[in-house]
Amino acid sequence: MLLGRLYGRTAPAEVVGQAAAVKTVAAVVRQTVENGEGNSVIVVGPRGTGKTAVVRQALAAAGGIGKHHVVRLSGFVHTNDGIALRDIARQLLAAQDVAGAAGTFAEALAYVLGVLRAADGGVAPVVFVLEEFDQLAQHPKQVLLYTLFDMAQRAQTPVCVVGVTARIDVVDLLEKRVKSRFSHRLVHVHGVESLEAFTDIARTALRIESESRYARQFRQRVDEILTTPEVAAHVAAVYEMDKDARQLLQLFAPAAGRLTVAEPLLCLEHVQRTIAHEATSGKMRVVGGISLLELCLVMAMHSLVRGGSCRYNFEMVYDEYKQFMSRHVLAATGGGAMKIYKKPVALKAMEALVALEVVRPVGAAGARAPKEYRMVQLMLEPAQVLALMADRVDVPVVIRRWAQQ
Amino acid sequence: MSNISASLTNKFPGRGEQIEHLLSLLGEESDPTPQCIFIYGPTATGKTSVTRELFTKYDSAGQHYAFINSIECFTQRLLFERVLNSWAGHVPGVENRFANYARCDNLVDFVNCVRDLLHGKQEKTHYIIIDQAERLRDRGPMLLTSLLRLSELSDVNVAVVLISNVVWDKFRPRHGGAFDPVLVFFSCYTKQQVLEIIERDCPAGEPAKFFLTFVDAIYEVFHRNCADLNELRHLVAMLYPKFVQPVFEKQANRSEFTRLFKLCQPYFSAASERLYLREISTTEWQKYSAISSAKTAPEDVTMSIHQMAENNEGLDLPYYTKFLLIAAFLASYNPSRLDAQYFARGKGPNKRRTKVFTQDSLGGKDRQQLLGPKAFGIERMLAIFYSIIAEPADSSVDVQIQIASLVTLRLLSKVSAGDRLDGIKCKCNVSFETIRGISRSVRFEIDRFLYDFT
Repeated sequence: MLLGRLYGRTAPAEVVGQAAAVKTVAAVVRQTVENGEGNSVIVVGPRGTGKTAVVRQALAAAGGIGKHHVVRLSGFVHTNDGIALRDIARQLLAAQDVAGAAGTFAEALAYVLGVLRAADGGVAPVVFVLEEFDQLAQHPKQVLLYTLFDMAQRAQTPVCVVGVTARIDVVDLLEKRVKSRFSHRLVHVHGVESLEAFTDIARTALRIESESRYARQFRQRVDEILTTPEVAAHVAAVYEMDKDARQLLQLFAPAAGRLTVAEPLLCLEHVQRTIAHEATSGKMRVVGGISLLELCLVMAMHSLVRGGSCRYNFEMVYDEYKQFMSRHVLAATGGGAMKIYKKPVALKAMEALVALEVVRPVGAAGARAPKEYRMVQLMLEPAQVLALMADRVDVPVVIRRWAQQ
Repeated sequence: MSNISASLTNKFPGRGEQIEHLLSLLGEESDPTPQCIFIYGPTATGKTSVTRELFTKYDSAGQHYAFINSIECFTQRLLFERVLNSWAGHVPGVENRFANYARCDNLVDFVNCVRDLLHGKQEKTHYIIIDQAERLRDRGPMLLTSLLRLSELSDVNVAVVLISNVVWDKFRPRHGGAFDPVLVFFSCYTKQQVLEIIERDCPAGEPAKFFLTFVDAIYEVFHRNCADLNELRHLVAMLYPKFVQPVFEKQANRSEFTRLFKLCQPYFSAASERLYLREISTTEWQKYSAISSAKTAPEDVTMSIHQMAENNEGLDLPYYTKFLLIAAFLASYNPSRLDAQYFARGKGPNKRRTKVFTQDSLGGKDRQQLLGPKAFGIERMLAIFYSIIAEPADSSVDVQIQIASLVTLRLLSKVSAGDRLDGIKCKCNVSFETIRGISRSVRFEIDRFLYDFT
């Protein structure tokens, strides 16, 4: 149960500090359901602040009042209006085909609602929940949104449109005719205001609701972990970065996953390990595994960048590599320690780098040129290259010096 | 749970940490799971095989996970239908006329199908495992986001496992909305682990310790340019028979390592690079290397290896066509302003100045040799062609047809529009090494005519 909450599978019991937003949305929905008014509202707020949870609670609050239908659409899956319409029909009528209702979108939707009314024998309000509202607004001509808002305004069929989006400027995305039909009721959902409240989210999620001795022990351990300076610092860092509660909760998930009967309390060590993992960037970990030749090529690109060229092809990189090797390495070691690899071998190494997306092709024009001449760019910062050098133990001294020049 | 972990750790040396992490994420059957697990790491670190094995052990009925390779499923529809098939235990065959479980053209259909299929089967998590997940990014902008949110969209207990060697940062869609998955990193193998893994490839009947010494030597030679375990295994499998051959031919015994290495030295120096680059294919190698045993002289061995790689050169062009190709190469890499200097006929060949360029006059990293071939007009190439051939060409040589055939051979590539008949522009696709070989075969000193080459 704890894990479910940490992974975001089950909704938290209450949304912390969003009571006002829930109340507003619930009131709007209730007006439609109870009085048969048309309404529209958009819930705006950054990602991970509980917009969906707010809408879900508002709907649940309205659920007990009267008979109504809920249609859920999401900008991610309903990528065009035709698909959206078919899904609306499917959600409302379960089985019928809309192919019979040819004509414009509005006619088709009216037909669907007409069929619905006939089936119900009354006027049942419909609540449309539009997740990722901004994506729906990208559809050509915004037919779906226009029709829905228009219906909400004309109030023949009681319709309530609840949009959910992360974009603050969502109203500006709407066309003029769509905008004029929107009620301009925006509900803002804010993130938590303070670090204490943010920590409280974690505490709530990790709470076990009972009064047994175990629960008390558990709560004590959670408090202990949250006040450890290391953990507290990380929580503060997450808070300052993006205030995303999901990211915070993920921190504790591995530790919670390892709970067993034998070891029923959260272990500080697991949490610390997760923090350490978060701290190193994934790119550096992947790049840490490349071979020495690949590293040399990265170095060659690095020195090209220092030389002032920001795009280069394999031939240039290989030339730079060869130049350096013959000038410094062979002179210093007499050719014994390192050899210059042939061009095809180096090309294979280069391709491995491209596959890891450490090196990225630039410019569309070069796509038809032979592989050696395609322009590429190194996707590592100079500091990252240096850090990479420092991390590896098997790098010869000459190469190390090359990096520091 | 613990016996799965034990048997897997046994099978995959050095992956204990990752296996334990994955198992703790999956948990017991009824436990909630993360919505998305992202497995990443360099190539050949056992990501796919560990995951596949783990899921076969974890869910032996095979009804709760779908293993998808996203190269194989190159459209959304294939991917969706494959997932549904394996969840429903549906196998397309003769009796159902090779039909899929359901037809899904788009995401909405898929979400609905998933909802219908899994409704009421909530207690166990269903998994979608996608290998080579980096390809998902070019399957439509919304696919990845929607897959990550699948359980939210369809209200059923679904989890997605992505496997890739590209880091998560490159997956984040531009429009946002894909929250971060749980990351599992597969690190590179250490030398010890590499040896332990390759030891399992030891051919039957060979002493393991002897084999290991050989593997160790190969590792020391190759680990600097190749970190890929599979490549190392390939090399070991190819070279080991040669290494032990003297033992069977009674030339040396197993304790004389240095002598054995000396005996197969020609193979190591000549063949290993070609094998690594796959210039010699596996079958070719096995077929021809039997001919030359260690008894033959080392020079012969080197010769035969060279022949093996070079007999498929395939650039056996007619005499004048070779000159055409050389002319194209010169036109591609030389600046046109120097054409008069290099090729002007009237002043006589001895006045043809071949200026010696100092290092300063070279274009640095922007010289044409490094920038690649540039486009040239066909007329310019013809002018160069007529200037470099020794005697005037026979009128019967239809130059235009030769040009066309060079274009079909892809030695030249046309850059002007396909329907243009005059002012055609081309590029020369041949590398410097090849053109040098060609000009040697027609006794043409190409180095004298090239500007700014090293």
